[in-house]
Amino acid sequence: MQVLGRFFDGESGQRLDVDLAVDTAAETLRLTHPDLPLGSQYWPLDAIRALADHARTDQAVLSLRADAALDSGLIRTARLTIDDADMISVLTRLCPDLNRRDVARGTGRKVATRVGAAAAALCLMIFVILPAMANTLATLIPIEREVAYGKTVVNQMERFLGGKEVGGLACTNPEGRAALDKMTARLTEAGDLRYDLNIGVFNHKMVNAFAAPGGQIIIMRGLIDRAGTPDEVAAVLAHEIGHVEARDTTRNALRAAGSAGLLALVLGDFAGGSAVVVAAEYTLNASYTREAEAAADVFALDMMEAAGADAEALATFFDSLGNIERTLPDLPEYLSSHPETTDRADAARSFAKTQGRTTPILTDQEWAALQNICKTSES
Amino acid sequence: MSSQIQGRYFGARGPLFRLYILTSFLTLVTVGIYRFWAKTRIRKYIWSSVSGDGDSFEYTGTGLEKFLGFLAAIVILAVYLGIVQMALFYFGLNLFVDPQTQGQELAQIGAIYITLLAVLPLMLFAQYRARRYKMARSRWRGIRFGMENGAWGYAIRALAFYVLNAMTLGLLNPLATFQLEKYMADRSWYGDGKFVQPGRWQDLYAGMKHVFIGLGVIVVSFFLLAIMAASSGVGGAIIGGIAIFVGIIWLLIGLAYYRVYAFNYLTRHKVLDGEVTFDARMETGQVLRIFIVGSIIISVLMGVVFGVIGGVSVTMNEALLTGNIPLLVFIAALYMAAFLIAGGLSLVMITQPVIEHAVNNLHVYNADHLNTIQQRAADAGADAEGFADALDVGGAI
Repeated sequence: MQVLGRFFDGESGQRLDVDLAVDTAAETLRLTHPDLPLGSQYWPLDAIRALADHARTDQAVLSLRADAALDSGLIRTARLTIDDADMISVLTRLCPDLNRRDVARGTGRKVATRVGAAAAALCLMIFVILPAMANTLATLIPIEREVAYGKTVVNQMERFLGGKEVGGLACTNPEGRAALDKMTARLTEAGDLRYDLNIGVFNHKMVNAFAAPGGQIIIMRGLIDRAGTPDEVAAVLAHEIGHVEARDTTRNALRAAGSAGLLALVLGDFAGGSAVVVAAEYTLNASYTREAEAAADVFALDMMEAAGADAEALATFFDSLGNIERTLPDLPEYLSSHPETTDRADAARSFAKTQGRTTPILTDQEWAALQNICKTSES
Repeated sequence: MSSQIQGRYFGARGPLFRLYILTSFLTLVTVGIYRFWAKTRIRKYIWSSVSGDGDSFEYTGTGLEKFLGFLAAIVILAVYLGIVQMALFYFGLNLFVDPQTQGQELAQIGAIYITLLAVLPLMLFAQYRARRYKMARSRWRGIRFGMENGAWGYAIRALAFYVLNAMTLGLLNPLATFQLEKYMADRSWYGDGKFVQPGRWQDLYAGMKHVFIGLGVIVVSFFLLAIMAASSGVGGAIIGGIAIFVGIIWLLIGLAYYRVYAFNYLTRHKVLDGEVTFDARMETGQVLRIFIVGSIIISVLMGVVFGVIGGVSVTMNEALLTGNIPLLVFIAALYMAAFLIAGGLSLVMITQPVIEHAVNNLHVYNADHLNTIQQRAADAGADAEGFADALDVGGAI
């Protein structure tokens, strides 16, 4: 029985319908056609490869083992298309490496070099050049622009937390405000601040506070609810003022603008890719902010000291934070943006031991007013 | 061997869908690294589905070379993008002072994310390089396609045409379409046979007719709406609103019609090696039908799937909030799976049928001349399509 295959020599577009015969003894496939040089060609069975992911099940396209070349465009080999089902099954049985993917020599080294170069360029950008640029730009930016940007961030945050409109979450009870202003005044009277502080309270149960660029600080109601004393709130506030004065958030925003694009570039746009980008950005950010957090703690302790308030409040607040964290599964430290709260509490405690006489930040009555800052005044 | 060849497409839904799901899953578990191999495998499937005169096309690219090209592109892009993005963000911050209104706030955010402008020339560059790479890795009857170097020339021309197009409110769109395709076609080869793109760009205006009608309807109904609203009130406003809606739909269909028309026209006028000519008979109606039916089926299916997942998450809300990690992971996995399935469905229900329609309606005349074509020297495109991969241009396949 005669079996035909369509042969293309890889040199011309001429199609040759060659006769095919398998020689099991010599372990070759013989291609015969009058137009072939010498009339026939012999393909060793172990050198025959089938093209991968071929769509058509009614045919097989065969080639000889590719010559070693990393650049696939340079590979120049003949092609043989077989439509005969019996011949395909015979060859599938007899060719030992039909579906093998040959890899050129030196591939491993080349991959390693390129991965190394790309990783080095990325690390250099993310860990050296971008932070350095962010530091410089953060000090160059005019304060009023920073304030404008900070307000945008606060508004976005408010919307993110469920505020229907700008100012929708803001707590405005007058007595509460007065207490908050007094607290701020006590903290800031001793030192000179670069920024005019704009401190607000959001009506949200989250136990948190954050600083935005340009002196914007937001305390969540949940934090005031959880705090045992006004001094604890003051300590957190002082910590956030530390962030403001160090321009941490401005610097972070600048740096993130540079690195988020890079991370997206590396990870590409596969399903779930953006989630990975967010996670990677978070991890990266955490590694920067840990230093910033420690510096803000030191700033807060100094500020409490200067205000004549008990710095141990920071420690007691960390203790209660620690209780929350323990209910969650343990995160490794590099994933958590705040250094281990127990370490921070210990640092605050040893600082407090060196303090002299302290007075509470607010009177009991003012503290009660602050706790009710999110209630509309009953008058 | 016949003197006229009609293209045939042999791809099927099932195998391609399975291939997509498998390769996407591998991409997911390798944090994106497998995506170069994934794309290559999908291309191999689609290329090998295309057949002319019984001989299948072949895609000879490899995932490895794409990966290597990507790594090379990363080194350049990391430096460029990192610095440019931060600088743009900085100037974005400087553009506005105190945002008083929602609009100003949006403008400020927009200014911050204006990065696209910085990478647009690179994206155009990458677009040309990607097409060149795909040509260099395509074979039919063992003969390579190819394209000459010219990516920067393309990027500069494309930018100029886009600016011109924007300044004339899209009136010169046919000029841009024609000249950019001509730029690429005139640099394309099959073996040692060169493609040329004769024809006149003015001829493409015939394809713009439905775009103009749609625009006309929108403009006229805006005026009518303004006049009627001043005089007759609510009834007029409703009619005007409906008319604008009709105009927008007409415009969208008109854009699809234009793309199909331009493809047919440009293909019909291409000549290979001075002898071989082509004819494309794609139909807008068919393309729209594929698109609409596919979209409806996919959105209904996905609506159900996401509805179920959403329902599960809501009923388990309590458990989720208390940080039940296995449950969170489970729900996240469900979401990922749903996204994978949606991507696979859009490939097999929209992308592949459109390709199938294009291939089945492509005719090659004077095909005997193809026997005399000789192999061309290989294009050494060392970076594969690294820039395109990094900047994510190049569409579905």
